[in-house]
Amino acid sequence: MNQGIAVSDVHWMMDALQSIEVGLLVVDSDNRIVAWNAFMEHHSGIKSASAIGANLFQLVPNLPVDWMTRQLEAVTALKIPVYSTWKQRPYLFRFKSYRPITGSSDLMYQNVSFLPLGSVSSESANICITLYDVTQSAVSEQAMNQLNDELAHLSRTDRMTQLNNRGHWEELALREFKRCRRYGNTSSLVMFDIDHFKNVNDTYGHQVGDEVIIALATTVRKMIRDSDMAGRYGGEEFVVVLSDTDAEGAATFCERARLEIEQMVVEALGETVRFTISLGYSQMNPDVSSLEVWLKQADAALYYSKEHGRNQVTLFDPALIPL
Amino acid sequence: MSIPILICDDSGFARKQLARSLPQNWDVEVSYAANGVEAITVIKDGKADILFLDLNMPVMDGYQVLEAVRSQDLPTLVIVVSGDVQPEARQRVMALGALDFIHKPIDSAKLLAILEQYGILQELDGRGSSEEAQDSHLLIEDLTFDIQEGYQEVANVGMGQAADLLARLLGVFIELPVPQVRKLSASRLPQLIRNAIPASEVSVVTQGFVGSGVSGEALLFIEDSHLDGLAQIIERQVDINAGRQLDLLMEVSNILIGACMGGFAEQLDLKFSMGHPVLLGRALDVKDLPLKAVNTDDELLTIEMCYSIQEQHINCSLLLLFTGDSIPMLDERINLLVE
Repeated sequence: MNQGIAVSDVHWMMDALQSIEVGLLVVDSDNRIVAWNAFMEHHSGIKSASAIGANLFQLVPNLPVDWMTRQLEAVTALKIPVYSTWKQRPYLFRFKSYRPITGSSDLMYQNVSFLPLGSVSSESANICITLYDVTQSAVSEQAMNQLNDELAHLSRTDRMTQLNNRGHWEELALREFKRCRRYGNTSSLVMFDIDHFKNVNDTYGHQVGDEVIIALATTVRKMIRDSDMAGRYGGEEFVVVLSDTDAEGAATFCERARLEIEQMVVEALGETVRFTISLGYSQMNPDVSSLEVWLKQADAALYYSKEHGRNQVTLFDPALIPL
Repeated sequence: MSIPILICDDSGFARKQLARSLPQNWDVEVSYAANGVEAITVIKDGKADILFLDLNMPVMDGYQVLEAVRSQDLPTLVIVVSGDVQPEARQRVMALGALDFIHKPIDSAKLLAILEQYGILQELDGRGSSEEAQDSHLLIEDLTFDIQEGYQEVANVGMGQAADLLARLLGVFIELPVPQVRKLSASRLPQLIRNAIPASEVSVVTQGFVGSGVSGEALLFIEDSHLDGLAQIIERQVDINAGRQLDLLMEVSNILIGACMGGFAEQLDLKFSMGHPVLLGRALDVKDLPLKAVNTDDELLTIEMCYSIQEQHINCSLLLLFTGDSIPMLDERINLLVE
C-alpha cells in the first residue's frame, strides 16, 4: 500500500479485502500464511486467527503439494504471475459450491492466480493467492459441451441403425478419398443392399423390415475395424469404406459379410426371416478422380451382382462393367 | 581526437536508441550499419574502434561478424548489445571474442559503467569541444526510423526476456527470429493466423490485458504434437497424460505471456491488468478459432513471435493483438523511448 494512506483509511481497506467475494490469501517464502480473508474463513471453516502464521500445507489437507510448490517457486524465481484454470485443475481448495440445493455441482470450481507481491527486500517476497469461484461458468460450459457432443452425434448418426448417416458418411469418405490421393494409400469402398427387401416388407410388414435392417447394421458394425467407416446410404442400401484395404482384403470382408447374413436368422414379432445381400466394391485406383466416381464404380459392381443372381460379391473391373 | 564508433543494428529505432544512450560529452564520431556486411566495410575503413553489435540481423548476423573480426583480426573492440538475454547467448559471444555483452533495453548508466571499466572513456570531458557535442546531438535527432521498427525492438526485448525464462525452465537454447509487427484490418486476422500457424491440431491459450488506454489479447499457439516434445525435455518421458499436458501448456503460457507482456509494459512504462488465461481449445484447427473482431473494419496491431527449439523441432507462437484504439498511446510511448 502507498505510504500516503492514512491510518484511518486502513480500516475500511482491510474491510474491503475481508469481504470481497474472492478468496484471498498471502503466503511468505516458507509457505506460512500472512493473510486469510473472510471468503477463505467461511469456505474452509478455518478462522483467520488460526490460519495466520500456520504453514499452508499443514493447515489445509489435500492440497496438491508438489504442484503448488512448483507454482510458488516459479512465481518467486521468475517474478511473473502464474495462473491455473479450472480446466486444468477443477479446484485447488476443496470447497463446497455455493448452491448446494439447486446447483449441479457439489464442489466449487476455481480459477487461481499466484501473484508476486512487491517487497523491499526482493529475496523474501510474499505471494498473493486469489481464488475465483467459477462454478457457474464451468458447469454451463460443461453442459454446453455435452449438449454439443450429443447434437453432433445426432446430426451424424442414422437413428435406426446407429450407423453414420449419409451426409456424415460422405464427409468421412471424402476425407479418406483425399487421404488416399495424397499419400497413395489403397482403400476400398463397398456398397451393398438387401436382396428383394420389398418382399420382406410386403410379407411381414414394415416393422419386421426395420428389424431386418437393424440386424444387418448390427452385424456390419461388429465386423468393421475402428478405422473403417460404415454408413446407411439409403433405405436398405449401405456403404463401407475399408481403410488401407486392397481388393483382396475387401473381397474377404465382403464374402464374410455375405455368408454371415445368409446364415443369420432374424426373429421379430413372431416371424422368422432369412435374407441375403448383394455387394459390389471398388479398390482405390487411378481412374477414381472423385468420391463420386468411386461410389459409381462400387454401385456398378453392386448392380452387376444383382443382375447376375444376387447374394454375391463383385469387384469393379472397368473391362467387364460399364459405368 | 574523436573516437570512431560504429552502431550496427538492423533496426533504425534500435540504432537511434543506442546513439542517444551514449554518454554525453563523449567525443565520438558515430557511423551506422544495418547488417554485418555493412559493418565489416566500416571496420575495414578504420571507422570502428568500438563496435556496438546487435546479434539478430539479416544478411550477416552478429555471431558471423564476431567470427569475421576474429578470423581476419580486424581492428575493433566489440560490445554486443542484444535482447537475447539467455546465458548461452552471452557465453557464445564471449567465446567469440566480444569485450562485453549489454542487454537491451540499453541502460545509459550500465553502458557508462562498462565503458569506464574498459578505460575507453578517457576522451570524455573537456577534450571534445561543446560545439562538436552539439553536432553529434543533432545527428541523433536526424536519425529516422519507422514506428514499426520501434514496436519490433520493444517486442524483441520482451520476447528475449520470455525466452530466457523458458530456456531456464527447459534447459535448452531457444532460437529467436525477429518478431513480425503489422497493422492490419481486423478482417485479415484469420489469414494472418493461418499463415503463422500452419498446423491443424493446436492448443490455444488466450489472456486479455487492459490498462493505460491500451488493451488486447495475447494468444499462445502450440502444436499438440510438440507438447509431447516439451514433456520429453522437462519430464524425460515420452508419454504424458492429458492432464499433465494441460499443466505443461499452462506453464509455458504463464511464462511466455507473463514475461513478454511484463517486458513490454515495463519498457513502455505502462501498467496492465491481466485477465485470467482461457484455454480456447486443444486439437483445434485454427480455422475454427472464435474471432469476434473479424467482423469489424477496426485496425489491429499484431506482433507475432515465434519461439523454437531447433534440435527438438519444437516451436510455439505468441501473438500479441492490440485493439485499434490502443495504437495512439502505444505510438506515443514508442516515440518517447528515443526522444
